[in-house]
Amino acid sequence: MSALLRVQDLKKHFPIGKDLFGRPTQVVHAVESVSFEVEKGRTLGIVGESGCGKSTTARLLMHLIEPDEGRISIRGKEFGNIGGRHPVAQLRRQMQMVFQDSYASLNPRLTIEDSIAFGPQIHGVSETLARQQARDLLDRVGLNPSVFIRRYPHELSGGQRQRVNIARALAIKPEIVILDEAVSALDKSVQAQVLNLLSDLKKEFELTYLFISHDLNVVQYISDDVMVMYLGQVVESGPVAQLYENPAHPYTRALLNSVPAQTPGQSKNYIVLEGDPPNPIAPPKGCRFHPRCQFAKAICAEKEPDTVKVSGSHKAACFKLPGSADHQTYIRLQEVSHEPRC
Amino acid sequence: MNPVVEVKNLNVTFKGEEGSIFAVNDVSFDLAAGETLALLGESGCGKSVTLKSLMRLHPMHKTQIEGQVLVEGQDVLKMKSKALSEMRGKTVSMVFQEPMLAFDPVFTVGDQIAESVMRHERISYKDARQRALEMLDRVRIPSAAKRLDAYPHEMSGGMRQRAMIALALACKPRVLLADEPTTALDATVQIQVLLLLKELQRELGMSMIFVTHDVGVAIEVADRTAVMYAGRIIEQGPVQAVLSKPWHPYTQGLLGATVHPGMDRNQALPAIPGAPPQLIRRIDECAFAPRCAQASSRCLSPLPSVNTLTPRWTRCIHADVSQA
Ligand SMILES: Nc1ncnc2c1ncn2[C@@H]1O[C@H](COP(=O)(O)OP(=O)(O)OP(=O)(O)O)[C@@H](O)[C@H]1O
Ligand SMILES: Nc1ncnc2c1ncn2[C@@H]1O[C@H](COP(=O)(O)OP(=O)(O)OP(=O)(O)O)[C@@H](O)[C@H]1O
Ligand code: SF4
Ligand SMILES: [Mg+2]
Ligand SMILES: [Mg+2]
Repeated sequence: MSALLRVQDLKKHFPIGKDLFGRPTQVVHAVESVSFEVEKGRTLGIVGESGCGKSTTARLLMHLIEPDEGRISIRGKEFGNIGGRHPVAQLRRQMQMVFQDSYASLNPRLTIEDSIAFGPQIHGVSETLARQQARDLLDRVGLNPSVFIRRYPHELSGGQRQRVNIARALAIKPEIVILDEAVSALDKSVQAQVLNLLSDLKKEFELTYLFISHDLNVVQYISDDVMVMYLGQVVESGPVAQLYENPAHPYTRALLNSVPAQTPGQSKNYIVLEGDPPNPIAPPKGCRFHPRCQFAKAICAEKEPDTVKVSGSHKAACFKLPGSADHQTYIRLQEVSHEPRC
Repeated sequence: MNPVVEVKNLNVTFKGEEGSIFAVNDVSFDLAAGETLALLGESGCGKSVTLKSLMRLHPMHKTQIEGQVLVEGQDVLKMKSKALSEMRGKTVSMVFQEPMLAFDPVFTVGDQIAESVMRHERISYKDARQRALEMLDRVRIPSAAKRLDAYPHEMSGGMRQRAMIALALACKPRVLLADEPTTALDATVQIQVLLLLKELQRELGMSMIFVTHDVGVAIEVADRTAVMYAGRIIEQGPVQAVLSKPWHPYTQGLLGATVHPGMDRNQALPAIPGAPPQLIRRIDECAFAPRCAQASSRCLSPLPSVNTLTPRWTRCIHADVSQA
């Protein structure tokens, strides 16, 4: 089957700081050669360190910001407001996004009902119908329409606001929905309701989701495939069961190990990552994870590891993997002894 | 020893055009020095409103607050505005659920932290900036010196959250109100921040109220937990006891609905059926009754008041409290 969404070598750098002449003095390497594909009807979970470029990737996909390099296509079509491409307005009917900051993404002067009904009306739905659908959607995300339609964003709790955002994204009936920390603000029972709703809608309308979250348990439950990012790059990706059972990249292992135990009395021994958190302004040479990696050897500081097959469609970028072109060199090198650094 | 925070019969009501919203009802709890209380509960049940009451951050004209909120013996609800602004950020400090609410988009993060320090301590701008830098370092913001001059929108969600923790801790408060401070962080940074908060807490003898939806996080940081539903605390006790043997049917439902590793992906999650009640009147019966499998007719008449001074209690009249 061919991919619904295809992303190739996406790159985005943000200039920051200014010198005397107003020129940027530094750049944040937010997204660096990110490539992936999603098939129709599947859910891709995206996880990784905060600041690793997940939301930037999402905003690039939505054309809220333009990439420095790379291509994004839906069913082979590229979008953009430049010659030869399909207009971005068309893209919005196919792809919608629920933003991480629920407050910043709602117009404070619109009532909840107006906010949800706004999008469909732009796309030609009659006002009466748009309002009717807004109420139905509110009901489905667990907010009683008669209570909430006339409220303003600041009169809602964080979780209520996030559900309004989900309803608003679904109102356009898009094919692809990007959910950026969309259920993190919800209590676990409402979260269960919303996750059930997302599964039902996915079946009903054959939706495709990109599910960005820090909750690794939820990602495991909802995703078909998972992509792990570190400092702007994809370090591992694959089917959810394989990746969780057999994480290949040392960062993925540390990440999965850091999840607090859900059972009282079973305090865990965390592998707290050593070393400084990554600096996206001057990313380390070689493997970007090497300064914090317990398996790093000299080659890791010099060369960027190639992305290789672990098994099936499970892939990772690390010299430790037998498939890596430099694996033999890596094996022959001495371990670099790691002094604890924090 | 006297508790640092004592909340007695707190009621918060918002007056609106369409009638009142009874957001917090008869909430009482206290907090000892160095102690951490985790607030759990349904979305919209009044956790943030409760926290904001401790600093009196509600819109004045449309909010009615009753009860007592004692911080180091002083009633916050009776404070004059000068005492109030001295207390805010210095004695009690808050990490907000929405980082955008804490930071002003037009000033750099470093200047905002420095400004807050200068408001409470007589130190120079240069020293205050130095403190801001130390704090950003402590919460592990990469290249902190550069980020001092970043605007809030130039940071990722998680970085903004850490910057806000730095802002809240810059004046070494006695009480930290943390409203879901780690929800926006990845697991590796979350555990670093939790360990950091625990370390600073020991160092400063600081007390914490920690709002979270994550049972694992509550277990990791808290001594006690209070579970809220529809504006009331419905169960309270030591965190281990409450989370391993919850008494209240709502707490049981909440824990049951939590996604655990290795759940069957083809089965719907066991969400609690129904929705929470509207808070348009003061609810004196059990607000959970319409959704509760154990409910009887007695649950629908006003519930007897409970002794909130015992170490562990619940507001459910059918709870089997024999098994602790
Ligand atoms: N407009 C901007 N200007 C400068 N830097 C930016 C801008 N937007 C994002 N960045 C930087 O780009 C990097 C990636 O940010 P992004 O928001 O994509 O991270 P994220 O993976 O979504 O993190 P989180 O999990 O914390 O939300 C971060 O270092 C961030 O500070
Ligand atoms: N300024 C306000 N005016 C009117 N109603 C409000 C206001 N602020 C909050 N509310 C209502 O009060 C109730 C409690 O809100 P609160 O923000 O405390 O919820 P919460 O427990 O923090 O939820 P969440 O977990 O979703 O953040 C909600 O039903 C909310 O809609
Ligand atoms: S390539 Fe080297 S540094 Fe990078 S993850 Fe693998 S072992 Fe660690
Ligand atoms: Mg983000
Ligand atoms: Mg809240």
